[in-house]
Amino acid sequence: MSPQKVPVEERLFSLVLTLVATEAGLTKSEILSSVQGYNSRYREGGDNSALERQFERDKDDIRELGIPLETVEDPGDPGNNQGLRYRIPKAAYDLPADITFSPQEMALLRLAATVWREGSLSADSRRAIMKLRTLGVEADDPLVGFAPRVRTREAAFEPFEVALERSVVVNFDYLKPGETEATKRIVEPLALVQFHGRWLLHAHDKGVDAPRTFLLSRVIGRPRVTQIGFTRRGTDYASHAIDELQKIWDRNQAELDVLPGTDAWVRLSKREDARRNDDGNLLVHYSDTALLADELAGYGPEVRVIWPQRLVDAVRERLRTTLTAHTANTGVGEVDDRG
Amino acid sequence: MTVAEPAGPRDARDKLALLLSLIPYLMDHESASVDEVAAAFDVSPKQIRDAVYLIAVSGLPGESHSYLPGDLFDIDWDELEQHDRIALTHTVAIDDTPRLSAREAAALIAGLQYLSSLPEHADRDAMSSLMAKLERGTAAGAAQVAVAPAALRDTVATIREAIEKRTQVDLDYVSARGDSERRTVDPLRIESVNDDWYLRGWCHLREAVRTFRLDRIDHLVSTGQPISEHAAHVVLPERLFQGSAEDLTVSVDVVAAALPLIADYIPDDAARIQDGDVVHTKVRVAHYHGLKRMVARFAGQVTVTAPEEARIAVADWARAGAARYEDPTA
Repeated sequence: MSPQKVPVEERLFSLVLTLVATEAGLTKSEILSSVQGYNSRYREGGDNSALERQFERDKDDIRELGIPLETVEDPGDPGNNQGLRYRIPKAAYDLPADITFSPQEMALLRLAATVWREGSLSADSRRAIMKLRTLGVEADDPLVGFAPRVRTREAAFEPFEVALERSVVVNFDYLKPGETEATKRIVEPLALVQFHGRWLLHAHDKGVDAPRTFLLSRVIGRPRVTQIGFTRRGTDYASHAIDELQKIWDRNQAELDVLPGTDAWVRLSKREDARRNDDGNLLVHYSDTALLADELAGYGPEVRVIWPQRLVDAVRERLRTTLTAHTANTGVGEVDDRG
Repeated sequence: MTVAEPAGPRDARDKLALLLSLIPYLMDHESASVDEVAAAFDVSPKQIRDAVYLIAVSGLPGESHSYLPGDLFDIDWDELEQHDRIALTHTVAIDDTPRLSAREAAALIAGLQYLSSLPEHADRDAMSSLMAKLERGTAAGAAQVAVAPAALRDTVATIREAIEKRTQVDLDYVSARGDSERRTVDPLRIESVNDDWYLRGWCHLREAVRTFRLDRIDHLVSTGQPISEHAAHVVLPERLFQGSAEDLTVSVDVVAAALPLIADYIPDDAARIQDGDVVHTKVRVAHYHGLKRMVARFAGQVTVTAPEEARIAVADWARAGAARYEDPTA
């Protein structure tokens, strides 16, 4: 009854070979009736809707591998879906012949690939290295004892990455610091960037019709990737987003009274761009008041914020919250958060 | 030192990428042993054999739609079966390295950006030409993913040199308790997680493998002394922080959204009981000094529920912090 099952990769492989070999392109029914993996299940003149849906998914899989699968309209019958032809132009499939790497560059690329140890970017970098190995360049010796790693642990990362790649609108709930209720955001994703260890989504917020940057750690629940496509107007969004974040970092400064010799002193004084002023206090830069307040609250009595006031308030608020949570209903100590 | 497990293809797309990459590789190597190819692609010999069997029966439907021999790839079967060597004898349709996908290129470019502050990669032009080549290696441009360069200090260069030469370093280390000690360390590996950098090595003072945060290290010098016997036999565990028998286990309530942020502190075998927005679980800490700092960083998101001494340690810490704003001279 059921024909012998062909593994997915065999079907995909056969499809790629067939579409590279055709110059004029093949129609969907030509493909389904002839290509290994579809042909044994194809019914001439019958209902092939399940097979057609599988073909749609296979096209997505192939395109996600970077293979340029093209759709060509029948010039004699434009607009007719059944007349659409599919092909993979060989010139667009092949890596351009002038792209070569030195052994030193190859070693660097392999190290760059190991930065991702989890999530989809890890699979992506593994496949990239697999493809580049075929160029036959041996890498220089790998760097010993060096294991740099970038994490993509936020639950929102993967859906944002998918929405970014497909250029589709994504919806999510976002909790701004200082607000108690999350608000619903509908955005066109433009870039995912990591700045000072935090992942951010740079996007066009459709609600306010303006660009906005969202911290992934403040996204509540799982973002919903829609089917609504959009067109990007610019390029280089990622580097612009990082430049903007750097400007905010440079502009925001705080003066901190830090007890010398403490953990807070050792770590804060090593912060990028930190310096000591004439009073012996530390001047540090930051990009986000709430994030810095979280860190400073962790240092407890080792740090006192002198200015700005909003940072003073944020740190005091956190310390009070922690104190209340750890003194309530225990009978140990009073809830004396007002001193 | 540990050797990373070779990562095998995990899904159909990985397997397809291997098939498409194997063909140009095998065309460049007239006869290659299965082991050699497996090593080149970081997969098992079995995965290579499976892929080659599949390639050998694949090809084009042809005029007759019946996949006749001339329309298929072919290999030297005797070579494979008798000598475990692969030789392609006939190819169809493809013969070249496939382009990178938008995400594949982006993964490598963002990885390079992260590493671009390493001293030996100071040559900006070389780095940006490498990134431009990757971008050009895609059909439609790389995806928009970027990582700001890590802020690296001179200590990284000194430690890496010591690791390569297998020599010791001396350093001052401030613990979470707040005390500073001079230590001699056999450096084994530098690791990072996003913006945080760590030295892992054999600590002569503690006589054990320890993980040191680079931003807690002061006055690091390379002594030139060869590393000790202990260090030479150490197998570094994958997890940065290892539990020890003296660790304290503390019960906490964590807001569900914050759970991934403290995942490193939660033992693998700890129960995670969801209760509305909150998860009841446990964290493992070396001492309450580390705990109070961690909990105070997650105000309102992580609350210690037991034991009582741990709650008191956190409350005292927060109270002392708050008190600094009431009487600045205190």
